[in-house]
Amino acid sequence: MPLDTSAYNLALLRVDGRRWNELRRVHAQIRTQAAADGSSYLEMGHTKVMCVVTGPSEPGPRRGGAGAGGGGGSGGKDAEVAVSIVIAGFSSVDRKRHGKGDKRTLELQSTVSNALSASLHTHLFPHSQINISLHVLSQDGSLLAALINAATLACVDAGIPMTDYVAACTAGSTSTYAANDEAADPLLDLNHQEEQELPGLTVATLGNSDRVAVLVCESRVQVGRLEGMLAVGVDGCKQMREILDRVVREKGQRMIQEGTVERGVGLNDMDVD
Amino acid sequence: MASLKRSLDSDPFAANISSKVYVRSTKRGKVQKIVREVYLRQDIPCSSKLCQSCLRSAPTDAAGRSTPFVLSEAPAGTSVYQQGHYLVPDTNAFLTAMDLFEQSAAFYDVVVLQVVLEELRNRSLPLYNRLINLTKSEDKRFYVFFNEFRLETHVARQEGESVNDRNDRAVRKAVAWYAQHLARTGAEKVPAVVMLTNDRDNLRKAKLEDIPACSLADYVRQLKDGDKLLDMIPETQDQDVVKERRPGDLLYPEYFSMSKMMTGVKGGLLHQGTFNVSPYNYLEGSIRVPAFPKALLILGRENINRAIDGDLVVVEVLPKDQWKEPSTQVIEEDAITKNENPDAGENEALVSERERKALQEEVRRTHGKTTEGHAQPTAKVVGVIKRNWRQYVGHIDQSSVSQSAQQGRKQDTVFVIPMDRKIPKIRLRTRQVAELVGKRILVTIDAWDRGSRHPSGHFVRSLGELETKAAETEALLLEYDVQYRPFPKTVLDCLPKEGHDWKVPQSLDDPGWRDREDLRGLLICSIDPIGCQDIDDALHSRPLPNGNVEVGVHIADVSHFVRPNNAMDNEASIRGTTVYLVDKRIDMLPMLLGTDLCSLKPHVERYAFSVIWEMSPDADVVNVRFTKSVIKSREAFSYEQAQLRVDDGSQQDDLTKSIRALLGLSKKLKQKRLDAGALSLSSPEVKVQMESETSDPIDVKTKELLDTMSLVEEFMLLANTSVARKIHEAFPQTAILRRHGAPPKTNFDELADQLRVKRGLDLSVESSRALADSLDACVDPSEPFFNTLVRIMATRCMMAAEYFCSGTQAYPEFRHYGLASEIYTHFTSPIRRYADLAAHRQLAAAIGYETVDPSVRSRGRLEAVCKNINVRHRNAQLAGRASIAYYVGQALRGKATEEDGFVMKIFSNGFVVLVPRFGIESLIRLRDLAEPEPQAEFDAETYTLETSGSRAVKVELFQKVRVHVTDQKDETTGKRGVKMELVKVC
Repeated sequence: MPLDTSAYNLALLRVDGRRWNELRRVHAQIRTQAAADGSSYLEMGHTKVMCVVTGPSEPGPRRGGAGAGGGGGSGGKDAEVAVSIVIAGFSSVDRKRHGKGDKRTLELQSTVSNALSASLHTHLFPHSQINISLHVLSQDGSLLAALINAATLACVDAGIPMTDYVAACTAGSTSTYAANDEAADPLLDLNHQEEQELPGLTVATLGNSDRVAVLVCESRVQVGRLEGMLAVGVDGCKQMREILDRVVREKGQRMIQEGTVERGVGLNDMDVD
Repeated sequence: MASLKRSLDSDPFAANISSKVYVRSTKRGKVQKIVREVYLRQDIPCSSKLCQSCLRSAPTDAAGRSTPFVLSEAPAGTSVYQQGHYLVPDTNAFLTAMDLFEQSAAFYDVVVLQVVLEELRNRSLPLYNRLINLTKSEDKRFYVFFNEFRLETHVARQEGESVNDRNDRAVRKAVAWYAQHLARTGAEKVPAVVMLTNDRDNLRKAKLEDIPACSLADYVRQLKDGDKLLDMIPETQDQDVVKERRPGDLLYPEYFSMSKMMTGVKGGLLHQGTFNVSPYNYLEGSIRVPAFPKALLILGRENINRAIDGDLVVVEVLPKDQWKEPSTQVIEEDAITKNENPDAGENEALVSERERKALQEEVRRTHGKTTEGHAQPTAKVVGVIKRNWRQYVGHIDQSSVSQSAQQGRKQDTVFVIPMDRKIPKIRLRTRQVAELVGKRILVTIDAWDRGSRHPSGHFVRSLGELETKAAETEALLLEYDVQYRPFPKTVLDCLPKEGHDWKVPQSLDDPGWRDREDLRGLLICSIDPIGCQDIDDALHSRPLPNGNVEVGVHIADVSHFVRPNNAMDNEASIRGTTVYLVDKRIDMLPMLLGTDLCSLKPHVERYAFSVIWEMSPDADVVNVRFTKSVIKSREAFSYEQAQLRVDDGSQQDDLTKSIRALLGLSKKLKQKRLDAGALSLSSPEVKVQMESETSDPIDVKTKELLDTMSLVEEFMLLANTSVARKIHEAFPQTAILRRHGAPPKTNFDELADQLRVKRGLDLSVESSRALADSLDACVDPSEPFFNTLVRIMATRCMMAAEYFCSGTQAYPEFRHYGLASEIYTHFTSPIRRYADLAAHRQLAAAIGYETVDPSVRSRGRLEAVCKNINVRHRNAQLAGRASIAYYVGQALRGKATEEDGFVMKIFSNGFVVLVPRFGIESLIRLRDLAEPEPQAEFDAETYTLETSGSRAVKVELFQKVRVHVTDQKDETTGKRGVKMELVKVC
């Protein structure tokens, strides 16, 4: 069994060989399913999720108020962002069944929904619904961040008007809460082992700005360390936005080259060469 | 439909990513396959001060600091590598010879590879921690090189390759890379990079690949003065030729496989527990397992099967026809295996002739029994889960040393007899027999294989001549694992800068005064033993207008000086307690705090933490409050002075009056406690008087009991209980408390039976109250000491009190049995106990004085602290007692006296006598009675031993005897102890 996170101070290396400020390898694709309105597939290290967006469309018949998400009622003047997350039984080390009413999943759903509602122009689609289905294929930490990123990409693919990318990542700290180490380094993008052993938070920002759309911290950490963690997290979000943007641009470029779409109005400012 | 498949070539990171796959099994036996990402990089420095290129790309932490390079630019050379060298040991080198790396003569500039560190961590956590400590020490220059993360040195496991082979290959690759890398630095003298391994296959492969490598022994021989270090290499490693054994030669049964044991334990067929050796009989052990209320017996070498006291073992219950009674015989290892030859070992039978004889006697005795009900279930050890081996202090058995070894420097095998009687002799191979004979030495056990009667070990270091004060004291501290090194600089840096000039600030606006009450006007005094320097507590009392009395207990405010989680706090939490030896004190906190700044010395202002009660004249608590304060003690009394002052009617000043008032209240408090069922237990306590100048012991005195002692005790108990309630209320899950479990009834079976048979007395153990009452009834009008004797024996049946974290137990389990208190903690001695310090912090948080530090709230951490201080507390007690025993022996040296004693325990071939005057107990064997050994008739029913033949005496349990006490050096343990001879039976 490899070393644990306490070995960081020996050579400033994390359990997987990264430095404190490095993201894991991110691989993303959009339009993975041609039949869907929008779709994406995203890997952050070994965390793998895929996303399918349907809508905006007329809301179907209500299923007994199984409220998956928020973002205003479908009867209202804003579109509802309905998120459903399915965590595959094989996604973690131990095969586990996640029921429909799993509290953790419900919370993830509403967090993702709120995060995207902040960026999507839902007021353009009154009385309608945007369905985001997320499937978790493999888990290795930073799950919420991966879900938000994948959902953003799929929404872009679906062509739903939005202000900017919602890019998310996690940040942590190199020593535990109880150790109370003043000199602890902040960490970027936690994997599963780090999430288990160290304090961490998930942060998502709107585009290139420093505006925080999501901030979730479920572990105990000293207030003094929070600032550093947050700064690193926001910085990570910016890197993440660049990566997402590159994926979208590359795909767009290829589609134009293949002639799938025409170079349209508004695409002039896009660098296509 | 777009395909998710992508080719790896298109990914720019592909070359830098690898993954690590391994399988682990959980505690429940489930097997999990774990896949981890591994990011390979090129900016992991070699950390050699010769290298410039690594320095440029050295990594920095979040604050932009980089770690300074470790390995010296001019490392030491050996006879072979004269240009200097860096060492790269493999895992086995650390596993077998960590002591070598820790000593200071050689082994500098060592590269610890990540693969080695990981493997070591899996094999032995204590060794891993020792290695981590080495990497932190600046002068040893140990550097951890993360070879698995460096692109050039990363090694993927090939098909069909075993994990070990892969790891060995990784080590070789790292060594080769280092050599290449250093060659490129262009330094004048490029140091060689030498792999250290004892694996012959690995050595051979290294030779093929042209990588410098040698075995530990070869390497040490290259060093100057290497001979001495050679002994520290465990013997199994330097036996190049493993002797082929025929199956018949194996002396011990094979251990079960781990999975077989686990299944057995789960199925309830095997049992797991800690193995304990009987202090009287080295061939008898017992093991407590959760499944049975009483301990299982393990008898004989074969059944003990290489388990050593303290090991976590798995046992199997033996069939009923092999059940036996616990031995009533005393069997000492040295007497029976005296003439063994350490070199032999192979051709011997497991059970020697003499052991067999002892066994026959046993059988005869058991068969002679008419009653059968006495046989107890026995078991045999089938496997060891975890060894509890540590370093042992001992000395070389003179008789095992051959004549030739006395002179030459030939390697020789000798026996080391550990100081701890429960540990078997250890076989040691050494070249320095002549120098080591007659010395106290430190050794470790390396292995105990099936073919060897005794475990084999290696020499670590010598402590000095036997029976010199320095060597014996150090031996004692090592044996009880007391941290006695001076405080490191990091700890001393945490002290106030003013040093001894520190004073309570004058101005009341100073932050130190925040929320502190000014109690300087109160008549506070402290009462302690003579010569006490670390004064933890002081008291005051004054009458209130409403007829009640205000009583205050003021405790040194240590938590003001020791902030949580700094180096000093960590050191104190490791030490856990101050250890008091007869002539020495090993402090938990640096002297400056313990004896000056915290100590509530008279006539100076000090910070304190006060507990203040309002009490009715009947000693009922009306209310209680807690506050941080500043006090000024008026006087520091010794118990004797305070007693004199109280008794002297002419003293009518306010201070004396307040002590009298306290005394009155304390008596009422004590009565209340006794009514509630508090036990008054006893242990034979003595005090060694020392000559003031040479500090040589001159006499032994039993401790006197004064009223003023119980005065202080009562109020401290009250303070502890009050604080316990308060912190439990504030922190229901995490309060540090102290509990004393009710002893299982079976513990008292033997004593109750003895009292009934011998004296017709009844011992009832239903509750602490009943026990206290029946102990009170155990009196022999003709023998006043009898009651104390019974109390001493009852004390030994008790459980040990322990610290715990309130969340780990249900409320009814909080009970302190001995004090008959529902809840209890330690609060009153923060200078010398860490538990008290933790309680101080919790109390300060509970009254809103300061915010709660995370370390005081994290339950996992507090549990670890409790576990540690429980062990330290017990060790400190044992060390203190052992120190007294040593000095009693020294005080008696050359003197011979006749004393009264009492028979405490009786065996078929001897009995144990306690001499209250010296607080010592000693065994008198039949063969000590007369020459030749008299015949004896032992009646276990009536606890009587009657001898006939060369000397006729009848010895009974609890009997008063007259013994002749002289000193004698105990050959087994090398300690000077007392020897008793029976003069007559009274």
